[in-house]
Amino acid sequence: MAQRTNTYDIRSIDIDKKIISSIDNGIIILDDELHIYYLNKWLAIHTGLKEDSVLGKKLDAVFHNIKTKTLTRKIKTALRMKTPTFYTANTSKYLIPIKINQLKISNYEYMQQDVSIIPFDEEKRLVALIITDQTNMANTNALLEANIKKVNELNAELIRDRKTIDNKVLLIKLDSEFMIRDISQAQLRLLGYAKSELLDHNYFLFERLHINKTLKEQICQHAKENKVFNFEQKTLTKDGKELWMSNTLVPEYDSYGKELGYILFRNDITDAKELQKHQEKLLSNSRSSAMGEMVSMIAHQWRQPLSLINTLVATLKIKHELDLLDTQTMYKSLNKMEQTVNYLSETIDDFRNFFKPNKVITEVKLAMIFEKSTALLDDEIKQQSITYIQTIDEEIKISTYQNELIQSIITILKNSVDAFKENPTQKQYITTTVKQERTHLSIFIEDNAGGIKPEILQRIFEPYFSTKSKNGTGLGLYMCKTIIEDHLKGKITVTSQDGTTQTLIELPLSL
Amino acid sequence: MNSIILTEDEKDVLQELMNVAYGNATAVIAEMLDAFASLSIPNIKVMQVSELMERFNQLKDSSYFFSTQAFMGEFNGESAFFIDEESANNLAKHLELESIEDLDDAILELTNVLTSSLTTRLAQEMDTEVSFALPSISKVPLNEIANVDTFLQYSQVIVIDTDLNFEDQMIHGKIFILTKDESIQWLRERIHTILEALI
Repeated sequence: MAQRTNTYDIRSIDIDKKIISSIDNGIIILDDELHIYYLNKWLAIHTGLKEDSVLGKKLDAVFHNIKTKTLTRKIKTALRMKTPTFYTANTSKYLIPIKINQLKISNYEYMQQDVSIIPFDEEKRLVALIITDQTNMANTNALLEANIKKVNELNAELIRDRKTIDNKVLLIKLDSEFMIRDISQAQLRLLGYAKSELLDHNYFLFERLHINKTLKEQICQHAKENKVFNFEQKTLTKDGKELWMSNTLVPEYDSYGKELGYILFRNDITDAKELQKHQEKLLSNSRSSAMGEMVSMIAHQWRQPLSLINTLVATLKIKHELDLLDTQTMYKSLNKMEQTVNYLSETIDDFRNFFKPNKVITEVKLAMIFEKSTALLDDEIKQQSITYIQTIDEEIKISTYQNELIQSIITILKNSVDAFKENPTQKQYITTTVKQERTHLSIFIEDNAGGIKPEILQRIFEPYFSTKSKNGTGLGLYMCKTIIEDHLKGKITVTSQDGTTQTLIELPLSL
Repeated sequence: MNSIILTEDEKDVLQELMNVAYGNATAVIAEMLDAFASLSIPNIKVMQVSELMERFNQLKDSSYFFSTQAFMGEFNGESAFFIDEESANNLAKHLELESIEDLDDAILELTNVLTSSLTTRLAQEMDTEVSFALPSISKVPLNEIANVDTFLQYSQVIVIDTDLNFEDQMIHGKIFILTKDESIQWLRERIHTILEALI
C-alpha cells in the first residue's frame, strides 16, 4: 500500500510538471519584490526568453512596460487576502508584451491578456501569475462594440424618424379587434384628445356617428382579407368640430410575419371637401343661370312653330266660317299641328334632359352631341346671319357623361353667338372641327366675332367674370372648365388672334 | 418561487457573520491602499429583483462607475460596486495613477478586493470555499444596468449592502453582495446548522 502511494506521488509530480510545461497559458512565479522564480515553457516560447537567463531577475527589469507599483500592490493584496487578484484584458490590455505574429486579422499588435495573481507560497511571499491569451475575445469584443455602435446609430436614426412620423403623420394603430393601441401626436393634436383618452377604445365605437353599417362591413371585410382599403369619413374633434378624413387601412405584421393588427393612415381633407362643396354650389348656380338663358332660347325655338300653329288655326277658322273646310284640309292641318306640338314637346324634353346631370357614362356619337347642342341655337344663328360650318366624322364616338358635354358645348357656341351681337361683322362664321387621335379627341371651335383682348383672355375661366352687357352671370366658362377638366378628365384652352377666337377641347375617348 | 423571509434569528446570525467578514475586508483594503478605511454596518435584506433594479437606478444618477464580479461555489452570487466620479478621481490621485485605463483597473481591483475579502471570510465562517479562478470582473456602462442579464436571472436576492469610506481621501463607494435563489436556500440551511450548534 505504502509503495503504491509512493509511486502515485512520484507520478503526480511528473504529471504536474508536464501539464505546466504544455499548458496553453503563461505561468511565472514571482516574489513580492518581482524576482522571477519560475517561467513555464509557453512563456519562454512566446517571449523568446530562456528560463535560465531570467531567473532571479526582476520582472520589471526584463519588461520595462510593467508598472512596478501596481503589480507589487496586486501581489501584496493577493498574499494578504489569500485569494487571487487580477489584470483584465478589457482594461489593462496586457502585462507581458508578446507580439502577435499570426497572419489573421487582428485589432491588436500585442497579445491581450487576462492575468490571475494567485498566492503560491505565503511564507516565501511567492505568487503565481497565470496569463491567458484573450486576443480572440478582445477582437470579438471590438467587433461587437463596432456593431453595437452602428446599431445604436441606426437606432437613434429610427427614433428620430419615429418622432417625425409621430409629429407629422396622422396615424392610428389598431389591434386585430380594432381596439386603438397607439395614436400619433399629430392625430391627437388634430382631434384635441390626450392619448390616454383614446387608447384601448374601440375604433368603431369612437367613430360610431360617422361610420355606418355598410362602411364598417367593408372595412372589416378588407381587414379580414389583409387587403389595403381606402375610405373617407367624417370625424369629430373633442370640441365638436367636424373634420373630413381620408383613410388608408393597411395590415401590420411583425418581423416574423405574424399579424399585429392594422395601421390607419389618415389625411385631413376638410379643406378639399369644402372646396368641392363650393364647386358643387357653383355648378348648381350655373345650371340655374344657364336655364335662364335656355328659356330665352326656347322662346326663339318656339316662336316659329307657335306662329305656324297660329296660322293653321286661323286658316281653319276662316275656312270653317266660309264653309270651305273639307275633311281632307282639316286633317292635313290637324296633322301638321300635331307634328308641330310634338316638336315643341321634344324641345322641352331636350332642355330638361340637358340640365339633369348624368350619373352614367354612355357611348355616344360626337355628331349627335353637336346636333342636340346646335338644335337649340339654330334660330338665333339664322336670325343673325351666322354661317355655321361643322366638320365631324359620323363614326367618331366617345364614352362620357353626355349631358355635361352638351351643356359645355352649348355654353361655348352661345358665347360665340352672343359675341356677334356685340360685334356684328361681315361674313360672320362659326366653325366646328372634330379630330380623333389615338387616345383622345380634339374639338376645335372658332368664330370671327372680334376676338378677346389679352387682359380679358387670362381671366375668362374665373368664376363671376363676365363681359356681357346683360344676362351675364360669369359662371358659364368657369363651369365649362370645371366640367371638362374635373368631370370629363379633359382639357380646355382658349386662344384669340386677328379678331378670331379658338376654343380647343381635348377629351379622353373613354372615362 | 415562494418569497423567502429570513427570521430574526437567521438575520442575527448572518449579520454576525457579515460583521466578521467586513472587519476582515476593512483591514485588507486599508493595507492595500495604505489608508484608513471604514465600512458601514452591513444592511441585510431579501428583496425582489425589481426592487433591486430600482435601487440601482437611483444610484445610477450619482454614480460614475459600476462593476460586477461573480463568485462561485456552494455559496455563489455576484457583487455590484458603485463609485461616484469624484471618489474615482480621488482614488486615482491616491494611487498616483497615470492614465484612465489605470483608473478602470484600480476600481476593478477595489471591487475584487471587496468581493474576495467579504465572501472568502463569510464562506470560511460557513465552512465552505468560494472560487475566483476565472476572472469575471466586468465594467458595465451605467445606462445598460437594466440589461444585465445575470441580474434578471435572479428572482429574489439577499442584498447585503455597505458603504465604503476613506474619509481622508474622500473616497466613497457602495457594494452589494447578491446571492442567487438556490444559494439563499443553502445559506439558510447553513445558518440553521450554526444556530443548532449554538443551542
